[in-house]
Amino acid sequence: MARWFDIVRLWLRSLMRRGRVERELDRELRFHLDRQTEENIAAGMPPEQARRAALRGLGGLAYIEEECRDMRRTALLETFWYDLRYSCRTLGRSPGFAAVIVLTLALSIGANSAIFSAIEGVLLRPLPYPEQNRIVRFFLSSAAYPKFPVNAFDFLDFRARNRSFGSMAVMSRADMQLSGTGEPEWLTGFRVSSGYFRVLGLRPLRGREFDTRDELPGNERVAILSHRLWRARFGADSGILGRKLLLDGRPFTVVGVMPPEMRHPGNEYRPVVYGDTVDLWWPFTFEGNPNQRGSHYIEGIGRLKSGVPPTQADAEMNAIMAQLAREHPDNDRGWRVLVIPLYREIVGTAPRLLMVLLGAVALVLLIACANAANLLLARATGRQQEIAVRLALGAARSRLVRQMLTESALISVLGGAAGAIVATLGVKALAAMLPGGFPRGHDIHVNAAVFTFTLVVALSTGILFGLVPALQASRPDLRQSLRGSGRGVTGGGRHLRLRNSLVVAEVSLACVLLIGAGLMLRSFVNLLRADPGFHPEQVLTAGIALPEETYGTRKSLRRFYDQLAARLGSLPAVGAAGLGTDLPWTGYDDNLGGFQIEGKQPPPNEHFHARYHAASPDYFRALGIPLLRGRFFTDADAAETPQVLIVNRAMAQRYWPGEDVIGKRINFFEDHPKDKDWSTIVGVVGDVKDTPEKSAAAPAFWWPLRQMPFGFAVMTIAVRAKSDPAPLAAAVRHTVGDLDPALAIADVRLMHQIADASVSTPRFTLFLVGLFALLAVALAAIGTYGVVSYSVNQRTHEFGMRVALGATPCDVLRLVLGQGVKLAAGGVAIGVVCALALARVLRSLLYEVSAADPLTFATVASAALAIALLACYLPARRATRADPAVALRAE
Amino acid sequence: MSKSSDLIQGTLDLLILKTISLEPKHGWAIAKRIQQVSNEVLQVTQGALYPALHRLEQQGWIRAEWRASETGREAKFYALTRAGRAQLERELAQWERLSDAVRLVIRTV
Repeated sequence: MARWFDIVRLWLRSLMRRGRVERELDRELRFHLDRQTEENIAAGMPPEQARRAALRGLGGLAYIEEECRDMRRTALLETFWYDLRYSCRTLGRSPGFAAVIVLTLALSIGANSAIFSAIEGVLLRPLPYPEQNRIVRFFLSSAAYPKFPVNAFDFLDFRARNRSFGSMAVMSRADMQLSGTGEPEWLTGFRVSSGYFRVLGLRPLRGREFDTRDELPGNERVAILSHRLWRARFGADSGILGRKLLLDGRPFTVVGVMPPEMRHPGNEYRPVVYGDTVDLWWPFTFEGNPNQRGSHYIEGIGRLKSGVPPTQADAEMNAIMAQLAREHPDNDRGWRVLVIPLYREIVGTAPRLLMVLLGAVALVLLIACANAANLLLARATGRQQEIAVRLALGAARSRLVRQMLTESALISVLGGAAGAIVATLGVKALAAMLPGGFPRGHDIHVNAAVFTFTLVVALSTGILFGLVPALQASRPDLRQSLRGSGRGVTGGGRHLRLRNSLVVAEVSLACVLLIGAGLMLRSFVNLLRADPGFHPEQVLTAGIALPEETYGTRKSLRRFYDQLAARLGSLPAVGAAGLGTDLPWTGYDDNLGGFQIEGKQPPPNEHFHARYHAASPDYFRALGIPLLRGRFFTDADAAETPQVLIVNRAMAQRYWPGEDVIGKRINFFEDHPKDKDWSTIVGVVGDVKDTPEKSAAAPAFWWPLRQMPFGFAVMTIAVRAKSDPAPLAAAVRHTVGDLDPALAIADVRLMHQIADASVSTPRFTLFLVGLFALLAVALAAIGTYGVVSYSVNQRTHEFGMRVALGATPCDVLRLVLGQGVKLAAGGVAIGVVCALALARVLRSLLYEVSAADPLTFATVASAALAIALLACYLPARRATRADPAVALRAE
Repeated sequence: MSKSSDLIQGTLDLLILKTISLEPKHGWAIAKRIQQVSNEVLQVTQGALYPALHRLEQQGWIRAEWRASETGREAKFYALTRAGRAQLERELAQWERLSDAVRLVIRTV
């Protein structure tokens, strides 16, 4: 141990205290010389001779010193140090050159690091739950509904019969209104079964979690608070346990507080995305007839026993589902169980998006490398004579390569350092731009992993773009270079070929990116141009939830909604005000209902079904959803009048293809409906998709609010303003408060914000890929300019001769442009082929654009050629000014 | 003046370690000592001595220290480290084995 300590200490000393160590060596050897000289004098030599003999005995001071230095094994570092200083000097001599390379590298390395930090945060970092890889989500799945909530009684059977799960739970979004003390507040809540927190691997900070007793009907009046709510609303009251809260007008007892690290795992129906705020949890109770299993609205989550792979759990759950199908053939036939690891469920489609972005920035980096290699090559050609001289004087080739690699590494490290700054800023911008609901957006930070990545990328880039030029340059044609052939030999065909192929590579890579960006642009334009099916402008929306305590009956709900709709509609700034159970483009609520159609039979093993909603008369007018046939609801459609329905076009086409649906009837009773049970379709409205990128709208129908068959206590308000909708928020809040002071409105948003947010992912992707494509094009243009301009410089003499022999400037221009276009055309051709091959990757990100869209490909190809022409134009102009007199004189 | 003809490669280390095993010495003294003890047979090429000293120091077998020499002038004295002492034992053992073997071969043949 002590020995290694000595070794390191000495090594460091030799490195850090070089001057001192050198002086000591000098003193040591001089001491020896002096002693030897004294001895020689004592032996009778004259002083002069004694000194010489001593020196001879030592065998050359410089030689020994060098040997001793070698023994200290710092030579490698010292040459590195020397190379580094040399590189700094050479770079300092051409600051413009250095700035261009460092800047381009900084941008591309920074972009890579920024995207990497997103990948690190979203994909690589484990979820913050203990043993998170054992947590899975489970859903039901059928041909028509690939991912569907489970039934409560099915869940109980899953829980009782499985052996794969350590614990298993269900959750269902159930927001509540907190009143009593202070302002009423809308709380994001979930009903969860016992074991929910155990599944996540978390324990309450205070109190207890729910047990199976809380699952019994009537026992649900207990709540667990989030840490945020406990602190913000109750001042972190230490006596919170046992305290009574008024939630939706009913008293609940607080039994627990979760720790701050509790993260909502994300859910699918009325979603709260992973990591977003959830304020409280209350027990899910299993009520009703366990043999009726048609209703599906709760989502499953479970923790596998250690060592059980998700596939095994999947197989077991499906075996149980098969048993259930035999036991309850009416409800449980035709379903499969889908077991998905929580991580995969949370990241969703983000990996594909991030990988596309990473691919794009990696291409930019490659282009930047090719660019840097090109510039270095050009410079190496300029230094050919110097290198030839050094080689001729006996410098080892490896030594030259090392020196040039040091230079490129220095450039890349500078680029990396600047890139780290770019990345830090970029990540901030990235986080701000991230589409709402992007999984794990909060987890994206610049951290040590990102910096390590930056460093590794920077160094490998340096070697990548430095090695080829270094190898090339250290192998010059000695004879030719040493002869100092000042005449127009264009740096040797080898060099030129290499540089040309680098430019072709740059152009082709830039083309790939440009084509990708072009496709996304087309797709995005298609998205924006697609008819949304409603008019999002000037519409303000808000949510409201009526507590069961005060609004337990349908009658009381109806009365409130009637009053609210009337009051909102009479506000002076309001054009139309409606209430409805859903909003366009906000995804899919778990609202699927089955029904019977008069005079029709469903195909065997299938049901007629559609999304159900309820709406007030002015709901469609407020949102601008067009009426295609028939009429909207009116105030005349009341509880006691015959039941009516409005369907969307998708439903009309699915169930009555080619027929006039007005007057057709459906009902929601299983058997022997009476005549008054039938609902008549009175109108058809346009389709609105769940989200804009969905290929089609699902069949849906609306009940009039006054005829709602069960109490909808959660409602969305939509008001169309005559002008600016934003100031309406206060008016809406007042109107609600006037009707019932205990009510709060939530989620006040402008409809166009919702519409904007729903295209935010494609916009985000388009913006980034477009940005990278621009960067790539700029780099490729610089590269083309560099090569053409260099070759023009080399051929000035030749151009002069041509002009002397009668070539017009136009001929010369054509010659040079031809050279550039030839390179660019090669690059474009290769780029197009590569883009076609890569298009598969993009397909899922595109909307109504073929991944081989000819328009995009043609536009990009011609744009790339045009840019190449532009990049060649300046050097070409210079070529036309070649002076024939100078050329002739040199001859 | 060739380096390796005077001393078998590798034995120089052994000689140096052995020479300073009794007390710390500076380079010149080490060279002198080896010469004297070997009855002037072993001429340590001074050109090889200093690199060897630096190498041994770098390997952690010996440690250097500046202090006053017998003439009063400051000199760099080398001393064995604990690890160096163990190394000397090993090298000695190895040398014994080698020379025994060589002696055996020479006598039998």
